[in-house]
Amino acid sequence: MSVAIDDAVEPDSRRSHVRTVWTWVRRHSGIAVGLFVLASILFAAFLAPLPHDPFEPDATAVLLPPSSDHWLGTDRSGFDVFSRAIAAGRLDLPLALAGTFFSLVIGVTVGLLSSSKGRGSEGIMRALDVFQAFPLLVLAIVIVTLTGNNLPTVVLAIVLIETPRFVRLTRSQALSIRESRFIEAAYAMGATRRRVLWRHLLPNVSGAILAQASLAAANAIVVIAALSFLGIGTSPTDASWGAMIRSGSQVIATGDWWVALAPGIAVFITVLAFNAIADGIQKTLEEK
Amino acid sequence: MTAGQDTTGTPLLDVCDLHAEFRTSRGVVHAVNGVNFTVNRGELVGIVGESGCGKSATIRAMIGLLQPPGVVSGGQVLFKDKDLLASKRDRRKLLASQIGFVPQNPFGALNPVMRIDRQFVRVIREHTDLNKKQAVELAASRLERAGIADPQRVLRGYAHQLSGGMAQRTVIAIAMSLDPDLVIGDEPTTGLDVTVQRQILDDTVEQLERDHRAMLLVTHDLGIVAHYCSRVIVMYAGKVIEQGPTDLVFTEPAHPYTELLLKAAPRRDQPLKLSHGQLPDLINYPENCPFYQRCEYRDDPRCETEMPQMREIQPGHFAATYHNAAQVSVGYQQ
Amino acid sequence: MSSFWKYTLRRLALVPVGLLIVVTAAFSLVSIVPGDPALAITGGLASEEKLSEIRGELGLNEPLPTRYWDYVSGLARGDMGTSFFTQLPIRDELFQRIPDTAELVIMALTVAVIVGLIIGGIGAYFRGKAADRGSRYLTSAIQSIPDFFIGILLIYFLFYLLGWTPAPVGRLGLLETRPPDVTGALLTDSVIAGQWDTFRSGLRHSIMPVLALGVFYSAYFAKTSRAVLASAFASRQVEFARACGLPTRTIWLYAFREARTPIITYGALLFAVLLGGSAIVEIVFSWGGSGQWAVDRILALDIPAIQGFVLVAGTITLLTYVFLDILVAKLDPRISYGKGSS
Repeated sequence: MSVAIDDAVEPDSRRSHVRTVWTWVRRHSGIAVGLFVLASILFAAFLAPLPHDPFEPDATAVLLPPSSDHWLGTDRSGFDVFSRAIAAGRLDLPLALAGTFFSLVIGVTVGLLSSSKGRGSEGIMRALDVFQAFPLLVLAIVIVTLTGNNLPTVVLAIVLIETPRFVRLTRSQALSIRESRFIEAAYAMGATRRRVLWRHLLPNVSGAILAQASLAAANAIVVIAALSFLGIGTSPTDASWGAMIRSGSQVIATGDWWVALAPGIAVFITVLAFNAIADGIQKTLEEK
Repeated sequence: MTAGQDTTGTPLLDVCDLHAEFRTSRGVVHAVNGVNFTVNRGELVGIVGESGCGKSATIRAMIGLLQPPGVVSGGQVLFKDKDLLASKRDRRKLLASQIGFVPQNPFGALNPVMRIDRQFVRVIREHTDLNKKQAVELAASRLERAGIADPQRVLRGYAHQLSGGMAQRTVIAIAMSLDPDLVIGDEPTTGLDVTVQRQILDDTVEQLERDHRAMLLVTHDLGIVAHYCSRVIVMYAGKVIEQGPTDLVFTEPAHPYTELLLKAAPRRDQPLKLSHGQLPDLINYPENCPFYQRCEYRDDPRCETEMPQMREIQPGHFAATYHNAAQVSVGYQQ
Repeated sequence: MSSFWKYTLRRLALVPVGLLIVVTAAFSLVSIVPGDPALAITGGLASEEKLSEIRGELGLNEPLPTRYWDYVSGLARGDMGTSFFTQLPIRDELFQRIPDTAELVIMALTVAVIVGLIIGGIGAYFRGKAADRGSRYLTSAIQSIPDFFIGILLIYFLFYLLGWTPAPVGRLGLLETRPPDVTGALLTDSVIAGQWDTFRSGLRHSIMPVLALGVFYSAYFAKTSRAVLASAFASRQVEFARACGLPTRTIWLYAFREARTPIITYGALLFAVLLGGSAIVEIVFSWGGSGQWAVDRILALDIPAIQGFVLVAGTITLLTYVFLDILVAKLDPRISYGKGSS
């Protein structure tokens, strides 16, 4: 392998930074677009100025079709659909991210720890298989309603649903890497088990974990929407996409389509963004 | 035991300027770059080269087995004057009936969940008008011809019940069941016991010679080529870099790469054991000689700048090199 | 074949263990309620006598082992307890509604599998070309729309705009009556009773919910079957089949044959997933099946009913898995019946 001769510092280093970022964006377009969309949703939800107050209904403007004043119309209570749909991003997206984050941490830890046992955990894997086939949405509903029906319980339910996939992934990856030579070498050089876990196993597994995390988040958004559709976990005053879809479904049979459309599209875009990120990561991993 | 050549008339197989590439996200991998060779009726030709030289890709490109992301990007493959690359339907009719293909892994080729007789009969009945009973009889006779003692038992069973050697004989029987004029083997005996290898090759070649059929054998085992093939084609980086009568090429190699191959396999039955060294970048294919990086000679100024073309070293012996092979170092002892 | 039977018996031996886990899980649902379950159920509005009455019914006054034993022995007798609110035995309530859900799931599964195989197959066969990319974008898009939202969109387009389907008021129109109960499933019973008008109406009312579920899950099936079929089309077997000049039709057959084990596995998984995942679509279309009932009961904190549902759902999932393992072993003669297959 030839060594690069030009180690001279580039005169316009700032421009070259932008260029490298741009090349990265172009090569990983899926990931970049997905991240951008998610960031925009969060930004809009928390910081963007909205045409109407999403939490103050206007009793005189009930079920109005889209107009220049109410861009996506109003719902049965007089809320401006457009503003409320954007504001709902304050709840749905952070909830999904929080749930995914905790499941990742717990799942990866359990996965890494259980990978050293090998044989006993075959049974655990089978049990996880069966667990994941159980109607998890219903389980989520049960968990949330029985444990207090508030936001933390929603996160708990998400953790319960999403952790198994992280356990499995981490464990299978860790097991296969364990077999490889450089782990043997690390042990031979006297590394402790913890050091091996942290320094050697984790970095190699992280790509697949991130992809799975994206998929988990996508699923979490749908679960949260389903829960709030049923009125679980969120209170009626909160703006959330699922609840908005619910109220939209009650009027759609009579032709008032706009109430359900905005939150539905919001969910669609968010989930699509997460899926795009996951696909992009998987593609990058395949090319290695 | 090398077969006689029959060079009367047009060649059976004429590969002209074949190009094939693999479109990956890292770039286009040029796997086959302008391959030219012929096979005449009744000739046994060997293609050698280390792994990654493009010989398997060439074979597959020739008979239309190249799957995405691989794609044929140019050239002609004339079989009895018909271009195999032109019409998919024509090609399909020729396969098995006139061109037989024997892949490397018999357990890969045979369908594991189907009985042997069903798979075999299906191939036969696709290209003939025989009814089921006749097809089964033909299958049994072909199995016997391929050296299987109890054809009925094999036919009624499944692939995983066979030993490696028997499975490969079965695949050979299927490939040759309709007496094709050309049999193409892609490392057909690699992975089998050496003695089994020899038996199978002996039997197969004997049959080919008896019926005056041609064979194109892709292998990395120089010993097999030396023993069975009358002509040899040496490939490197997707190009044919030397071809000619086996005894000539192996005793007086013209291309430095052929020399390297021969040096690395001094004994008959030794398979090729070459470390990769620096294979040229198949994505950014060099404009000069592809072997330049590893060549120990480089005794011509054009080696670094131009792509060497095939030139005739001796009658029937060609090589694409600027190296003067006048002073030849090592030959292959028969 | 005796190794096959040994394998089957080993798999079946896992069932009691699994059942024990499911029963215990269902049983412990009472305990996950923070604080006093009776208080949670009544919402704090009941009198002290009512509260202690509820606690008595839940068996909370008894020590844990006694409660467990009562629960398990009750189950052995076939008694799943009584609903708090309707005072009807849960077993009856639940089993009455399962056939309707089963019909929905089977119809949706059929749609999902057929559509999924077509999309996945096209993507696999034309791998790398435009059709493949198109099918992948399509499946990504479909998967990103929640199934109940697809249902709502269908209500708007098929019912409101086009008038092709009847109103989403249930399995039948509001004024129509169900056929006499034989299996408990509407379409089957109407066929048995020969009530063809009812059958047709039931079918027409099924279009939207079946499409909502079917289209959504077809994306999942398309993705998994495409992956499996793509590797089947690229396999050595298919390559040799092509090399022997076999026609395209046969190539497809071989590829499907090779991929059939994973495809059947995914199909059965999808069945189990649909059983629970159809609940919300059931609610949107007032299907009246077990999923809708379960959500109702859960929202009402009807704990015995919840336990009953978790128990039944868990058992069905477990049995589906065991059945699947056995089926796969039967279909694939290569699988070793030794410890831990695949």
